[in-house]
Amino acid sequence: MFQSNRNSSSFDLLRVPIVGALLTYRHARTLLQIPLFLIAIAMVLHGLFGPQLAPKNLATTYTWVHFRGALVFVLLLAGNFFCLACPFMLVRNLARKFFRPVRNWPRWLRNKWFSIALFVTMLFVYEWLDLWASPWWTAWLIVAYFGGALLIDAVFKHATFCKFVCPIGQFNFVASTASPLEVAVRDMEVCDHCTTKDCIRGVRDEVQPLVVIQRGCELALFQPRKVGNVDCTFCLDCVQACPHDNVGIISRVPAGELTTDPMRSGLGIFSRRPDLAALVIVFTFGALLNAFGMVSPVYALENWLAKLFGLNREFPILAFVFGLFLVLEPLLLIGVAAWLTKVWGGTGRSIVFVAVRYSYVLAPLGFGIWLAHYGFHFLTGLYTLIPVTQSALAESGWAILGQPRWGTPGLPPNVVQVIEFGFVFLGLLGSLLVSYSIAAAEKVDHPLRIFMVWAAVALIMTAGALWLMSQPMEMRAVSLGVG
Amino acid sequence: MIVKYYFPIALCLCILGAYGCRRNEAPPDLKLTHEVSPQPPRVGYVTVNLGLTDSSGNPISRAGLSLEGYMSHSGMPPVSGRVAEVRPGSYIGNMELSMAGDWVVIVHIHLPGQVSVDRQFEIKGVLPE
Repeated sequence: MFQSNRNSSSFDLLRVPIVGALLTYRHARTLLQIPLFLIAIAMVLHGLFGPQLAPKNLATTYTWVHFRGALVFVLLLAGNFFCLACPFMLVRNLARKFFRPVRNWPRWLRNKWFSIALFVTMLFVYEWLDLWASPWWTAWLIVAYFGGALLIDAVFKHATFCKFVCPIGQFNFVASTASPLEVAVRDMEVCDHCTTKDCIRGVRDEVQPLVVIQRGCELALFQPRKVGNVDCTFCLDCVQACPHDNVGIISRVPAGELTTDPMRSGLGIFSRRPDLAALVIVFTFGALLNAFGMVSPVYALENWLAKLFGLNREFPILAFVFGLFLVLEPLLLIGVAAWLTKVWGGTGRSIVFVAVRYSYVLAPLGFGIWLAHYGFHFLTGLYTLIPVTQSALAESGWAILGQPRWGTPGLPPNVVQVIEFGFVFLGLLGSLLVSYSIAAAEKVDHPLRIFMVWAAVALIMTAGALWLMSQPMEMRAVSLGVG
Repeated sequence: MIVKYYFPIALCLCILGAYGCRRNEAPPDLKLTHEVSPQPPRVGYVTVNLGLTDSSGNPISRAGLSLEGYMSHSGMPPVSGRVAEVRPGSYIGNMELSMAGDWVVIVHIHLPGQVSVDRQFEIKGVLPE
């Protein structure tokens, strides 16, 4: 029997008039994907052939100001709806009309290590090629995503690209652990009596059983045993497939899924998934590193390193900085915290087990830092959506929205900075609550000590984030030896 | 089926077509030189000395020039600056750079009786105050 953790009074987005009807419409996903696909095409064209001044180009402005900001705000307020409307999947679905994949993703790659490598590569390339300043490279990045999704899913079955490859998807999976909505079963008793399991198997043609009429979950998440948002793309295939109309988009306690450690469908047990823990670590420390790349001290550090090692190329220096912040710093902080948990907190678990289990504590804080960073660009550059669109249309000979007026780009930075700090504190609060919940559930003599250790880690990182956000912004391509 | 898959493709082709058909006016042949002070530039006011000549090197007088500065990252507030002619073909402008980093400056040039043209240059590595 499946355990029910749902309250009948929970909010269900699919029960909301109009919105619910729209989302449960059979072609809802395609309808949402088409506008994003068209915008993506316009961004690619403008990035490749439009003005190469980032603030006046659709590719850079939409991607690095509006898309990222909208993404984190939707994750904060609702859930992983970007994956639902993902334009890459539109092209992939089209391709699957012509190419039927027959291969399974190699077993040794069925984890998050490969996607972590891509995520780190993405962060590295962003700094190395100054993607924020390059419409051309940004356009190629979008093309690479389309090409990657197309290629991987043309060869491999199921949602291989989403589950094991896509760096944006991994970002969304971790961030959505803090989201207030989750695709979940409405009434577990209905599942207890279900014999078809269509939510995972899909709906098949009665005459030709090999023909799938409606896909089940391509990410191997069996609804009755699904816990939380990790690996869920909100594609709503399970909603469509369930013959009992028993799957909804239901409210829950944000980050609550991180406090327990049950067996999860399609994922296993979090504390036995070092790859997932590593993803959370890269997500959290990457948030600090990505913000660090936009403030003045990073250039001082890089110049100092250049002089120290006698280098004048950015690549090795940047690689060193990444190693410092994404490998050494987490190893030290989490390693020491895990060791203290063992010796001071009195847990009998191994240090590696403790490190893996408690790394998930950092996810809300990491999300808070990303929110602060992306939210800053989004809110301070919000209005640039209008002139950059006007400008692109005018260049194309369709000045239907009039001539652009490049005025105030968005909210005042000093106002937004307060909001930024608020997001970081919100993330800190989430991490403190998660660490307290996990520690309180431990069968040890000193759960409070364990909480204090991990709270200290979160506080150190928060202090780092607040320091970063109070630094003067400085955005430039590195020219070593200057300054 | 048609709406689901071919409509987006058709729209993409239309967008591509629109790009191919956009207007392309030949700009006047002129040369713009620039010099920014102080060096290295810092956040705050900078002075931009501009030299404007035609293709033969003859100074161009009475052109209407203005400056527009952008950060290399989208979404940052642009700054603008006024320009005055100090002698034939030599212009001087001021603008307040609000942030450290790389700036791109667009010079709007309006020549009497001709179409306006834009030229741009970079001010790299503007240092904090």
